[in-house]
Amino acid sequence: MTSVRVIGPEDDPPDGMRRARRRGRDDHPFWWLLPVALLLAIFYLYPVLEVVRISFTDATLLNSTYAYTLDSYRSVLADSALPRIWMATVIFVAGSVIGQTALGLLIALTLQAGFRRRLPGVRTVQVIVLATWIIPGVASAITWQLLLSEASYGFFNAMLRQVSLSPVAWLSDSRLAIWSATLANIWRGTALSMILLYAGLQTISPTLYEAAAVDGATAFQAFRYITLPRLGPALLVNIVIVSIFSLNTFELVMPLTGGGPGRSTEVLALAAYNAVFHDFNLAQGSVLAVLMLLINLGLTIVYWLASRGLR
Amino acid sequence: MQLKPGLRLFAILLGACLQSPHIAHAEDLVAPDRIGRIDAPKSFSFRVLTVHSNNNAQPKFAAEMAALYEKYAHLHPDWQVSIQLMSLQIPQEHARLLEQARSGTAPDCSALDSFEVPLFIRAGVLKPIDQYFSREEIDDLFPFIRPIISDAAGHIYAWWWTTDLRLLYRNTALVPDPPRTWQETKQAALAARRAADSDLEGLLFNGGRNETTTVDFLPQFWAQGGKLVDENGAAVFGQEPNRTYLLNAIAFYRDLIVSGASPARVASISNYDDLTAATIAGSAAMMVNGDWAMSQMQAAMKPEDFAKWAVSMLPGPTAEQRSTSSGGWTFVSFSKDPEKVKACMDLVREVYMGPATEVLRRLPTRQSEFDSPLYRSNFYLQIKQYLKLGQARPGLPIYTEISNRLQIAISEALSGTRTPEAAVDEAVDQVAKAAARYQ
Repeated sequence: MTSVRVIGPEDDPPDGMRRARRRGRDDHPFWWLLPVALLLAIFYLYPVLEVVRISFTDATLLNSTYAYTLDSYRSVLADSALPRIWMATVIFVAGSVIGQTALGLLIALTLQAGFRRRLPGVRTVQVIVLATWIIPGVASAITWQLLLSEASYGFFNAMLRQVSLSPVAWLSDSRLAIWSATLANIWRGTALSMILLYAGLQTISPTLYEAAAVDGATAFQAFRYITLPRLGPALLVNIVIVSIFSLNTFELVMPLTGGGPGRSTEVLALAAYNAVFHDFNLAQGSVLAVLMLLINLGLTIVYWLASRGLR
Repeated sequence: MQLKPGLRLFAILLGACLQSPHIAHAEDLVAPDRIGRIDAPKSFSFRVLTVHSNNNAQPKFAAEMAALYEKYAHLHPDWQVSIQLMSLQIPQEHARLLEQARSGTAPDCSALDSFEVPLFIRAGVLKPIDQYFSREEIDDLFPFIRPIISDAAGHIYAWWWTTDLRLLYRNTALVPDPPRTWQETKQAALAARRAADSDLEGLLFNGGRNETTTVDFLPQFWAQGGKLVDENGAAVFGQEPNRTYLLNAIAFYRDLIVSGASPARVASISNYDDLTAATIAGSAAMMVNGDWAMSQMQAAMKPEDFAKWAVSMLPGPTAEQRSTSSGGWTFVSFSKDPEKVKACMDLVREVYMGPATEVLRRLPTRQSEFDSPLYRSNFYLQIKQYLKLGQARPGLPIYTEISNRLQIAISEALSGTRTPEAAVDEAVDQVAKAAARYQ
């Protein structure tokens, strides 16, 4: 029989006390989180706070001195170009969300059906779709430049000519250019939506579909009354993530259109870049970055709430 | 004594490591990221455009630049030059350079786009470099160069080693005579389109959002006598008669598109490679491009096709009112160490002041360099004449703001987003608001 000796405080050796204290530290999550928290503070929080600070100045790259002022906010908010920038951003983000979600869902459903029926080539399709997500934004932009080019070597217009249709001014028509940029972004981001929604589809119990089949439900009815309601939280998370990604997209639009013609494709992220690197205006670039940060924070709160719903 | 296999491998690796620096400097004085011996006692950093270095994508140019670097390395065995490559993201690269110069982390020796030099002079991050160049060498520079690289007292802060020129390229099989006026240009483009198949594009130029658009556009404005800034450096392009000149030049561009002489897609073209590609593909009758396009076309086209192409001065509102724009690249030193500044200027003098312009087929900035046999061909003799009419963009920091706003205005007017008047007025308004930042 094993005897247990209870150790009292009076005979607790100093080593034991240290061990106990260390155990206390080990049990507390604070110490484990501290290195990560420090890294986040240095590499994420500090730059964000610095951007917010600069937004309340008149700093430029041209002068080393600056003063604290609200003029940069006034100037950006009163800028006659801002409504056009908002409009381009809204079209780009909303179009990307709708397009990526619809296509992502379609591909996820197709893949699920393919896997269920053990069709050959389903895995290959999945890899091909994922490849578009792996390609860097700049490379995607160059690819789409070639596809949308209005020169004789432009792919889409060459296809249109083949079927005796007139070529389209994909990038030089100011009303169409933003939709062309959105199309390129949808192509690039659909894989992400596919992954998120495919994961959501896996959480739906197959017994529900079996029961629906026994009741004589059609495929559309099963989709309408089982898939969509059960996929709700995953759809919401997808919408929020795609919105954040699209809002921050700059590396695709910049090489594709440069914000033109005029300012028709100058989305918020590109406007911030132009303010800093073309106009050397650090403060106004920071104001635009703060606006993006606020929108992203709002979307993150929605994402957080949706994630809780998923759990 | 017989070593165990493990120890033998260790000894071989150790020997290789100890010997490697000697091997490197003995066999390789030039590497993609270095000029000079790897164990040289002194070093400086050197930022340069990829195309102006031994990393040029064309093997011929890369090899010839490496040979020039090697010659420099032999003459300066004490120095190791650490090469940093500069991308063609010009605004981003220069904004970063300015920040680095302010914080003391800029490269010791660096390339700088000529139109950005005044901004760096004004920011106080450059020091005069007059002592490294003789009076004769400075006086030999083309007239448009000195004002850009100098301060009010006449001190030079950068060495402008290569220039360029915008030209009208034409396929002589389609456009036999060089058009001299805007009207002749439109007619020639339309005639070429009528004579060829329907896919042919008459005249191509940059009309998108990029500095290239301003550089192509300004000659039309200057040819009428237009001024962007006055003697005091204030923006005056919105005042009469400059505003009318601007609107005339935009109307010329717009008329080209409306008449079908130019395709609507010019509103989205913002780099010269697109124009050169269309020319090489045989789908354009004329284009506005830099002098460097000629060697690119020669390398890519069949000799019989290339022989059809000729250049002429850009057209103007009348045959007498003509102008063209010149750009180019300079080198500056951000170092505070006089020894490094001298080493940088030695590199500029021995590699770039003449030898590199010939090797890379670029235009020199000094009249005497045109005496070289390379520049005695008809093409270069023609260019030498045009350089006299060449104008550089204003040597003032406010120019970058004017250019950004003009790019938007031109692009908006060409795409029909706004009327030319509204687009120009918006540009004037925005530059006026920004002017305070540049004072």
